[in-house]
Amino acid sequence: MIRLYNVSKTYAKANAKAVDDLTLEINSGEIFGFLGPNGAGKSTTIKMLTGILTPDSGTIEIDGINIAENPLRAKALIGFVPDNHEMYETLKGTEYLKFIGTMYGVTGDTLKSRIDKYADMFEMTDALPNLIGSYSHGMKQKLSVIAALVHDPKVWVLDEPLTGLDPQSAFQLKQMMRKFADEGNTVFFSSHVIDVVEKVCDRIAIINRGKLVAVDTLENIRSDNKVSLESLFLTITSDGESK
Amino acid sequence: MTKYLTLTKLLFLQQFKTRFGIDKKKRRGTIALYVVLILCFAPTVVTVAAMMYFAGKFTHGNADFGTFLILLCQGLVLMFGIHAIISNVFVVKDAEKLLYLPVRAYVIFLAKLTVAYLNELITTAVTVLVVLLPFGMGASAGVGYYFMLMVSVVLIPMLPMLLSTLIAMPIAALVNLFGKNSYTKTVLRILLYVAIMAVYMYGMYRLGFLTGSENGSALDNTEEYVQYMLGDFTDKLNGAMPYFHPDYMLMNSMLAPTFTTFLLSFLAALGENVALLALVFAVSLPFYRRMLTLSIEEGSSRHKKGKENFDTKNIGTIRQFMLTDIKKTARDSQLGFQSFAGIIMMPLIVVVLYFFVGIADDGDSSLLQLITISTRYQVIAPLVILAYMTFIGSSTNILGLYPISRENRAIYILKSLPVSFNKILLAKVLLATAVMAACDFITCLLIVFLFEIEWYLGLAMFATMVFLGFGSMCITTLLDLKEPRLGWDNFNQGLKGVKNSWIAMLISFLTVVTIAAISVPFIILFVAFDKWYIMLLMWLLILGIAAGYSVVGYKIMTAKATKYFERIEV
Repeated sequence: MIRLYNVSKTYAKANAKAVDDLTLEINSGEIFGFLGPNGAGKSTTIKMLTGILTPDSGTIEIDGINIAENPLRAKALIGFVPDNHEMYETLKGTEYLKFIGTMYGVTGDTLKSRIDKYADMFEMTDALPNLIGSYSHGMKQKLSVIAALVHDPKVWVLDEPLTGLDPQSAFQLKQMMRKFADEGNTVFFSSHVIDVVEKVCDRIAIINRGKLVAVDTLENIRSDNKVSLESLFLTITSDGESK
Repeated sequence: MTKYLTLTKLLFLQQFKTRFGIDKKKRRGTIALYVVLILCFAPTVVTVAAMMYFAGKFTHGNADFGTFLILLCQGLVLMFGIHAIISNVFVVKDAEKLLYLPVRAYVIFLAKLTVAYLNELITTAVTVLVVLLPFGMGASAGVGYYFMLMVSVVLIPMLPMLLSTLIAMPIAALVNLFGKNSYTKTVLRILLYVAIMAVYMYGMYRLGFLTGSENGSALDNTEEYVQYMLGDFTDKLNGAMPYFHPDYMLMNSMLAPTFTTFLLSFLAALGENVALLALVFAVSLPFYRRMLTLSIEEGSSRHKKGKENFDTKNIGTIRQFMLTDIKKTARDSQLGFQSFAGIIMMPLIVVVLYFFVGIADDGDSSLLQLITISTRYQVIAPLVILAYMTFIGSSTNILGLYPISRENRAIYILKSLPVSFNKILLAKVLLATAVMAACDFITCLLIVFLFEIEWYLGLAMFATMVFLGFGSMCITTLLDLKEPRLGWDNFNQGLKGVKNSWIAMLISFLTVVTIAAISVPFIILFVAFDKWYIMLLMWLLILGIAAGYSVVGYKIMTAKATKYFERIEV
């Protein structure tokens, strides 16, 4: 479902590569966890995957569609939950969701029923008529998740999705990710919460200083079952070490 | 004191942070732009300076007249600085960032006020150079005048600061009292701003500015006439100026014939200005504290409860974009105010201009009545007004000047949508043009009714303005797209030093020059042969060029937009 071939990116105002020759393949029906320390290149990879940034080299395909050649078709397949919660603060929740829905070609009763369903699920029904600027961090995160789902995407890309969520919503989100993947779709998410990655993901990748240092199922990466993912992560990403 | 200085330095430098690290190529471009702008504006500046020189010469350095000039400078400082005072000092968006610091609220307030003052110094210095310096030269003032000129730069902003603060407080209080809705807040702010500026301009009008008695027309010598006019004007000022005592004392110290007079006047001016500063601080600190509390409590107090029946009808991508854009701009206190207040200025200036030239004392003819008698009035006046509208319009429309920078950190939303970027841009340009067109329409309507311009010429002006506006918006949109300012916390500060409005002015200037160059031969032909179709041809040509300009502008924008958009790294 998602393919990255030799993807590299260097920011205009930086010398070092943010992402260096990254190759990844993520299948349908899979929850894929993307791990790495701060500044490792996780968000840059996600931004390239969602069409926000253009890679310097390499190709990215979503469901067989090259995002550089057909950006609009590829983007239409993705539901994106960013990590920064920057939204249009002076819009109401409902207005924002209508805007996003229209951009993805979902309007009318379909949009209304989806908004009602997800708003109810995340207990956001009462909050949606209010301005986004008045939302808490967690509420913005929930709105972001709903906005990513209103067009029923095939690929769900989430950057640090659990940050700021209350325990009920975090649980609900994890359940949704599983259900979404079980329906044949793909979930690609980055997280710092290793426990969650350990419990939810089918496969994981670890990136450090822009380079992929490990990618496999948790069992295969962790050859010794007694070693926790946390200590494995710390070993792999520590200075001078790479697998 | 250390905390105050550190905070002031931080807040002041933060405005210019994006200027640092500019590469040499860009710096050269900026210098070139400013040189061109200086050359463009030089004739106007030189004319004003020359007028001030002769005013100084003919009034022999009259203190009342000099005080009036200080008031004029202060009016300009007020006009340009009031936005900054309201949005940087009283709109406390950064409250949560600053309040956790171990610094008292009054220190934060004082630092913000100082930054606003430092910004006003720049405007003051420019006005002093253009107005007071030539006035002193004309009056053959002594060395003391030029020394005090430097001191005056420091003292002149005090009164505008006090007025800005006094204006900002009722605006903010009324907005909080009546404006529960974000739109109402913006509309209230704009109405109050317009009302206050109108009162200021009317006040200047009542002082006799630009009005003269017709009795003077009996004098056939130009110099004598100007002297008569200035004498008449100075007489009108007599008695009024001492009410503006700090300014009156400042001007007296500048023109003082003896050291004792200088010292007494200077000490009085200094003391009164310090008192003004203390008054600003004493009056506005409690208000600032109140705004601080409101800004923190606001978020949690305005939640509505309950499900909302919202409309999900498909209105099309471009219309949805425009609707979303106008909503998010109009509801933002800073953006909404600046976007719409700037545009409203154009019809407001037309009305004020009418007060100056269209109304006369009983029994006298107004200037407008005198010039409308000429058969050439309907030929030349629409072109002059069109030039003015082009010039003011495109450089005040925030919607068209900063369509991408307005997105700020949420720019990633546009980048992740499955919508062609050219469509997004078209929506932005259409929105800016539509808002501008509404303003152009009102202005043209006012011109037709107040300035007795023929309705069909008003219509031609309106159509030309819409085309020129669209073309200019395309160019400014592309400029903003090339180097957008993203990641700001305060729109005003974030866009400090951005050249877009200057470039827009320059583009407008070139457009005006082109239209003037085209019109001159037609005007000469019309004067010679007096045939209506000469004017028709001229307007058709102007309209054609304006339409061509909009098409070319749009083509240039779409040709480069996607490349620039992809280059934006967020």
